[in-house]
Amino acid sequence: MTVRQEASAKDPGSAMRLLRYLAMPIFLGLACLALYLYVGIHGLDSIEQRSLNANTLIQQTARLLELAAFSTVIVVTLSVTTGILLTRPFARRVSPFVVSLANIGQAVPSIGVLALLAIVWSIGFWPCIVALVAYSFLSILRNTMVGLRQVDRSTIEAARGMGMTKMAVLFRIELPLAVPIILAGIRTALIINVGTATLGTFIGAGGLGESINNAIRLDRTVVLVTASGLTAILALFIDWLAGVAEDILRPKGL
Amino acid sequence: MTEEATKENNTQTAETMIRLENLTKVFPAQDEPAVDDLSMEIYEGEIVVLVGPSGCGKTTTMKMINRIIEPTSGRIFLEGEDVTKVNADKLRRRIGYVIQQIGLFPHMTIADNIATVPRMLGWDKKRTSDRIDELLETVGIDLSYRDRYPKELSGGQRQRIGVARAMAADPPVLLMDEPFGAIDPITRDRLQDEFLRLQQEIKKTIVFVTHDIDEAVKMGDRIAILKQQSKIAQYDTPEKILTDPANDFVQNFIGSGPSIKRLSLSRVSDIETADWPVARLTDSHDEARNKMQSSGKGYVLLLDDQDRPRRWVGAEDIEHDGASLEEAGRPAVAIVEANSNLYDTLDTMITSYKGSAIVVDEGGRYQGVVDFATVLEAINAMRPREQDRHMPPPEQRHSGTEQDLQTGGGGR
Repeated sequence: MTVRQEASAKDPGSAMRLLRYLAMPIFLGLACLALYLYVGIHGLDSIEQRSLNANTLIQQTARLLELAAFSTVIVVTLSVTTGILLTRPFARRVSPFVVSLANIGQAVPSIGVLALLAIVWSIGFWPCIVALVAYSFLSILRNTMVGLRQVDRSTIEAARGMGMTKMAVLFRIELPLAVPIILAGIRTALIINVGTATLGTFIGAGGLGESINNAIRLDRTVVLVTASGLTAILALFIDWLAGVAEDILRPKGL
Repeated sequence: MTEEATKENNTQTAETMIRLENLTKVFPAQDEPAVDDLSMEIYEGEIVVLVGPSGCGKTTTMKMINRIIEPTSGRIFLEGEDVTKVNADKLRRRIGYVIQQIGLFPHMTIADNIATVPRMLGWDKKRTSDRIDELLETVGIDLSYRDRYPKELSGGQRQRIGVARAMAADPPVLLMDEPFGAIDPITRDRLQDEFLRLQQEIKKTIVFVTHDIDEAVKMGDRIAILKQQSKIAQYDTPEKILTDPANDFVQNFIGSGPSIKRLSLSRVSDIETADWPVARLTDSHDEARNKMQSSGKGYVLLLDDQDRPRRWVGAEDIEHDGASLEEAGRPAVAIVEANSNLYDTLDTMITSYKGSAIVVDEGGRYQGVVDFATVLEAINAMRPREQDRHMPPPEQRHSGTEQDLQTGGGGR
């Protein structure tokens, strides 16, 4: 009976999904257009022009994406690996300690982490990356561990009982079944990183944060609205991409 | 049914498939062993049921055979080979494994689930695919299910796929841990019957764990009743255990009505049916009356032109010459097939009009009649053969403590 329901739900479902997939990019495109018109209506003075030109905006946006992308790749690699190791039987004793260590990373305000790193290490791109990694490490780690632990024990026992090696069970059973939850964690981490990356300007990492910061200091509302608007659009777009990726990567049959 | 004959053959001529030698398991941080010095042999092609109260170590024992649980000491032999120290993953690919929760992989299709072990063994695509089709047919699942996912199946279907998956690489041994435990009683009964029929063809060596003595009696060629720490209380055929329990523990465990349970192991076709007068619906009243009188019974059974039992008529029904025989007497109900077991037959007889049941073949054609006298005779015939010792008849034995050991819902 479930089979029939599935089948009948499929057609309206896929139409709905298409609408959902398209709605966000259309909305974001409109938001970009609105920003453009807003800037067009205001005349720009020379200070504003220094921030609001194609070159600067593209360069700052690219920097922001770089920060978010690098930090995400690094943090996913680190935290998923750590999550796998911590859920293995041999790590039962150490896992609470590692989790609370990761908690500290998220508990300290992000700007505090940045300032600390600037003092003890240096300023620039990589310290910012480290701060972002520390900041988003926990959310992926926690989701990886939860995702792996919620896999039905009987499924794993059946797999072991049929002669799958521990590695095969991990890669063919546990990780695929944990993917939806891990992806949700990664998605959260990505959004956090895009937002937090704007703070990178305080330790000279560049990005759209630079324009935002300048606009606040120089009291230029147009620049502030444009730069923060772009950041928000970027964050939403990345969230949308992650959502699409989730749908594609989620194993069928769950 | 030649079940008993096969059973005896198994125990005498078959090769030993699994031998457990002084198997002991002590779990970490526990003083008492979960399984203490267990030795037993399981022959090729038989179903051995490990049955006992919860916590007696039966599941631990079974899981040590494929070393899901590693024994603390002792040795395990499979087909004569000591497998206690061999690579456990490779060992498990030679042993089918079915657990109560079944544990199908939810993210894989039915076909991929079944293909798990063949792929690990490196079978080519064609062979794997053919095998999947063959197994789906064997367990009675439509081939269109190949590309479905487990969540689209009912509990009974999942269980069948679980069995198909366990048999995928045609292992000689199957381990089944309460495989029908999580299924509703009606489906369970059907799956058990199906599985027994399947076993007739595949002749696997099966170790079957359950806490339900009725299931054990139904499924087992031999039953090992286990006490705490997997100590064997009795290891014998169901017939032997029911008619001749070795000790109080076994007697308590099999609970009330062992003689009744014993009846479920014999078929109607195994016993002599009583001689009963039959006539045709088309016969005249005189003919029917003559047949009845010459047999000395008070009733005659009327058959239709295809030998199917139709009506019971007594002397007084035939007196009313006016009515045709088609309308006379009572309709013939309480009909059992020749391969029904005596337990069900007796049940039918109790609710029938004259305390007798009509036996028919698969086509519904009349074979004979059984009544209480015939069944009693059959029960008496079982006794002297199996009750060779000094045991009193089961009815007279103390049977007050069976409630202490509730053995779970047998459902029959």
